[in-house]
Amino acid sequence: METLTRIAGLEMMRIDAQARLTRRSSQPTGVSMNQFFWGREKTRRYCDGFSRRQVLRLGSTGLFAGLSLPGLLQAQESAAQSGRTAKATNCIFIFQEGGPPQQDMWDPKPDAPVEIRGPFQPIATKTPGVIFSEHCRRCATITDKFTVVRSHSHTDNGHSTGYYYVMTGRRPTFPDGEHPIPTNDVYPSLGAYVGKELGSNGKVPAYVNLPHPLSAGGPGFLGAEYAPFVIEADPSQPDFEVKDLGRVEGLSQSRFELRQKLLGGLEKERERIGRAKAMSTYYAKAYNLINSPEARAAFHIQSEPANVRETYGMTQIGQCALLGRRLIEAGCRFVGIDAPGWDVHFNCFPSLQSDLIPPADQAFYALVTDLEQRGLLDSTLVVMMGEMGRTPRVNAQAGRDHWSMAQCILFAGGGVRPGQIIGSTDAQAAYPTNDPVSIADLLRTVHTLMGIDPDKEYADPLGRPVPLVNGGKLIPGLIA
Amino acid sequence: MNLVASRRCISRRWSLLASRGDEGAEVKHYQPLSIRSFGHVGSPACSGFGLRVRWCVVAIVGVLSVAPPARGELTVSPTSITLERPETTQQVLVTQQDGTFRQDLTREVEYIVADPQIVRIDAEGLVYPLAEGTTQLTIRRGNDQAAIPVAVSGLEQPVPVSFQYEVQPILTKARCNSGGCHGKAEGQNGFKLSLFGFDDEADYGALVKEGRGRRIRPACPDQSLVLLKATASTPHGGGMKLEPGGFGDQVLRRWIREGSPFTSPGDQPVVNLEVEPAEFVMAPQAMQQLRVTATNASGGRQCVTALAEYVSNAPHVVNATPRGLVESTTVPGEAAILVRYLDQVTTCRITVPRRNPATTRLAEKNFIDKHVADKLERLGIPASEPIDDATFLRRVSLDIVGTLPTAAQARRFLQDPSPDKRARWVDDLLGRPEYADYWAMKWADLLRADKIKITPQGTVGMTRWLRLQFAANRRYDEIVRDILTVQGPIQAESPAGFFKALDQPELAARSISQLFLGVRIECAQCHHHPSERWSQTDYAGLVGFFTGLKTKRLPNGTEAIVAAAGTDHKHPRTGEPVAARALAAEKANFEAVTDRRQILAAWVTSPDNAFFTKAIVNRIWAHYMGRGLVDPIDDIRDTNPPTNGPLLDALVAHLKERKYDLKAFTKTLVLSQTYQLSSTTNEGNVDDVQNFSHARPKALPAEVLLDALSQVSGVAEKFDGWPAGYRSIQVWDNRMPSYFFRIFGRPVRASVCECERSNEPSISQALHLLNSPEINEKITDKRGYARKLAASPLNTQGVLDEIYLATLSRFPTAEECALLRSAFPAADADRRAAVEDVLWAVLNTKEFLFNQ
Repeated sequence: METLTRIAGLEMMRIDAQARLTRRSSQPTGVSMNQFFWGREKTRRYCDGFSRRQVLRLGSTGLFAGLSLPGLLQAQESAAQSGRTAKATNCIFIFQEGGPPQQDMWDPKPDAPVEIRGPFQPIATKTPGVIFSEHCRRCATITDKFTVVRSHSHTDNGHSTGYYYVMTGRRPTFPDGEHPIPTNDVYPSLGAYVGKELGSNGKVPAYVNLPHPLSAGGPGFLGAEYAPFVIEADPSQPDFEVKDLGRVEGLSQSRFELRQKLLGGLEKERERIGRAKAMSTYYAKAYNLINSPEARAAFHIQSEPANVRETYGMTQIGQCALLGRRLIEAGCRFVGIDAPGWDVHFNCFPSLQSDLIPPADQAFYALVTDLEQRGLLDSTLVVMMGEMGRTPRVNAQAGRDHWSMAQCILFAGGGVRPGQIIGSTDAQAAYPTNDPVSIADLLRTVHTLMGIDPDKEYADPLGRPVPLVNGGKLIPGLIA
Repeated sequence: MNLVASRRCISRRWSLLASRGDEGAEVKHYQPLSIRSFGHVGSPACSGFGLRVRWCVVAIVGVLSVAPPARGELTVSPTSITLERPETTQQVLVTQQDGTFRQDLTREVEYIVADPQIVRIDAEGLVYPLAEGTTQLTIRRGNDQAAIPVAVSGLEQPVPVSFQYEVQPILTKARCNSGGCHGKAEGQNGFKLSLFGFDDEADYGALVKEGRGRRIRPACPDQSLVLLKATASTPHGGGMKLEPGGFGDQVLRRWIREGSPFTSPGDQPVVNLEVEPAEFVMAPQAMQQLRVTATNASGGRQCVTALAEYVSNAPHVVNATPRGLVESTTVPGEAAILVRYLDQVTTCRITVPRRNPATTRLAEKNFIDKHVADKLERLGIPASEPIDDATFLRRVSLDIVGTLPTAAQARRFLQDPSPDKRARWVDDLLGRPEYADYWAMKWADLLRADKIKITPQGTVGMTRWLRLQFAANRRYDEIVRDILTVQGPIQAESPAGFFKALDQPELAARSISQLFLGVRIECAQCHHHPSERWSQTDYAGLVGFFTGLKTKRLPNGTEAIVAAAGTDHKHPRTGEPVAARALAAEKANFEAVTDRRQILAAWVTSPDNAFFTKAIVNRIWAHYMGRGLVDPIDDIRDTNPPTNGPLLDALVAHLKERKYDLKAFTKTLVLSQTYQLSSTTNEGNVDDVQNFSHARPKALPAEVLLDALSQVSGVAEKFDGWPAGYRSIQVWDNRMPSYFFRIFGRPVRASVCECERSNEPSISQALHLLNSPEINEKITDKRGYARKLAASPLNTQGVLDEIYLATLSRFPTAEECALLRSAFPAADADRRAAVEDVLWAVLNTKEFLFNQ
């Protein structure tokens, strides 16, 4: 199997080489062609104006526009000056809440007994020797554009605790259970850190959650300023609307303007200090968001052409992925998509094959290909995973239970070396057999891909230095 | 103030003063020398010292331009230099005291070494030994000069390097053993040191023995991995940590050459650390070199200026470089520089007054104002204006009861001519049920009344109990004693749930220490805190009070807290049991008690306890003033001194004198002039964040803001499953799903830290307030306030008055009226819409959203 994977990797390199020849473009900013075409997710940074990252991105899109050599050199220089080598400036993080079954999706075990392999058949993928479950058929056609880590493994078998562990990299200190509000008591989530580190472009918020808050996606000690902007609505519904962003019902444009004028007049004379002053800047941003046609358009998924919407699938996960792409285009840094329903303890296979796997497969497929077509894949990291995997053995209720020891993570874009299978599991998809990947490894890798120093320290409320990521190593071979 | 006069009266002379403890040094006086104009300082003669020095010179000229040229006393310290080891250095300080300000000339003067074979001195005044012998160092500035004797010995037969006392501090200062690097629990790339180097044996093992001794090469010291890595001669993830050929590199190299022993004749624990100057006044945008001297057990003194670490507690006022150079910013204020060397800590306190000091003194209403005024006077910072009745009414109501005054209350208060109306209003507030609601909510947060952790019934029980305590105004020390010794069912009307939330002895010890003593001993669990006196022994000693606690299952399926006899807790590192004892207290005697907490509770609430009263005083002060005298409020330690020590002491004495009566104490606070200062700043105090020269606008807690919006709109918030009319500050359910609470930062009660409540504004908050259907529905509700006003016989002015009184407790100004009238149409048809729009606009002003 490993050999096959290795061969697959070689095959990929060959394809890359071909692609390089066909494109005939010069190589931007010291980035390999491999990265360029199959590159990381795109993340945009806008906080520092015309940043070196933008320069970089210009450099890469410039390939299509025929950017001149001096331009490239300039871009290179900018990148060197700021020390940034990472390409990802945005991240779309799809969280399959409940725990997706590794063996029924990306790590099938056709040779195992039926109570382990389940009813789904394996299919070949574009990468020779790599097989997926039959319901991952769309992604099977683009295995050259993403990489599967099959050896993610940790020891927390709870939903809210596992979720918390993935989002913060910290062992939870609370018992597993229902947590209706974000549980980041102390430690910030990945998205909050990325939002803070990279900032937004000033029109759409840097960190967004949809279609409801990631349950451990809160800002922790970074404070409400870095909390996600949460879109609590399902973009697949016809009446989808972003809370507090649309015109309040029954309020005419003239009254809206009058109110704005009155408020502006009342605030004019007043000098503000401290938090009150900060609040004023958020009011300005909020008005920007409400009044800016581009910003509002980003949230208006209904304006997306019907065929594009269909490509993603008219499902919640599909439309969330599409909305994620629109937000990234508008300058959002980290879109956290909560895709629930994966806790399949009972009679799991009918729902997996109709309601869960195909929509996720389609959403991921559409997102990666769409980003690529738009030249955004290079700068946008796409990650899809859950808080755990599921038990190798099908239980008495024809379901699978919690199993955190083996899970799959999908990575695409943003500096990820695509076309690989990293790590593998034993014959039952129960334990990693090589390259086990921890949560710290995952977070360290994502931060690194985003150009954020994982060892950067923040002071926690006790004043102790807390690194963004505690320990961990880069996932071997993942970064191009 | 009278800088000019005081400068002039100082005699002009050089003097060499013996610094404290420099034994045998004589005080020598040199003849005063003529001084030219001050412009001389910035003359080209001085420009040779590089950019930094020139910058300093410019700053000093700027400072002194207010006064005619004059010069104060100049001193050089130390008076003699003795260097006894190859790597020792000696900092020289050259100082001028000029009126109020201390000026550092260390980097400005010219240094001449009589015999350059013996020592050299750099531009920063640091003397390095070169060869054994004696010479003389001459310090010259213009025509002035002074000379001090220099003796160098111990180079040819140096005392061997001490691992513990010389190598360790180098690793610490280079941050090799910091928490982000080799000091973290799992080490870094296989090399692990103890955090901040408090475990010498383990670190020695890691450096010398581990990995088959690969880090040290006795046969070829210069090729030792530790040197190659630290100097980045081979690739090192942490980069270059020791400058090649620099001090650290040299010491480490010599230690390896000497066979890298664990013990050495040079092992001399440092018993004292002194910093010069220890307390001084400096001008804004000026610099001052510090000189740090360590004394070892046998009385030997050594300059460790270049080895010590420096941390400023107020970097917006003063910063310190690793070389011990203190730099003041443009912001006046006070700062403490924490100086650390090995396990010794000392502080240097610095005052940076304003350049143009204020001339008027803050009016005094009680003792608080005297201390604040003293401080402001010392810093030359002017106070803001006193607030008017309306601002006072709104501010004090939101602060004490978390509730806005109604329009009628505001009108009555503003029209009341009696001079004692503020005091009477405070009494009214303290007697209201909302006082108990609000403070019970605040303390339920701190006592972790989390329904997941302690069951919903437990949360209700604890909230009720707290409410009763505050309603009855029980003595604070008694409340705390009850909390600390509680036993019984966690669902009872009692604080028993607190120990359910703190279900581990260690968690209980550190939470209680932080909450009731303001002492954060959490760090001492794993290591001796670098800027604190608490060790792992102190930590384990405190934990020993809680080891007897058990959670007992009751027949009805619930739980109870039961205290059995405890055992001593083991030292986290050595594993040896540590006798239970409170912080800095004697070993506890448990002869007469079963529940060890009884002894602790008696110690905590004793009037002699150095932390207990300070902690609550500081906590309440921070609630009303927006910032603690010690900040963060639960981090009281010698190295984080209060910004106004005499005031904190006076407040502590006051609360004791009032027998821990929190209402009486509150009244004293809010009736002070300090509390009643405007949040509008002036030119002289706009930068002040620590001296209470002006009020700070406070974000309304999520619950208070929602209640205010409900009250003003006349539409109560409906909470799922709750009877109508409940206010947010009464809702005990900390996990209640609420968009509003979530975005406005209501805490989930996961820690005993007030910091868990977020007060930071966000874009979601702004969007929600200005564009949400929920807020708009409140404003346009059929039975709401806006409709009532629109339908009332009041004219436009009357409506505006009502809205302003209800929201901001004041009448609108003429300009505001003129603006808001434009919303009202000529005909009455759209009056309702106009009232709604005006109400909306006022609710969205920062004046409404913050407690000004």
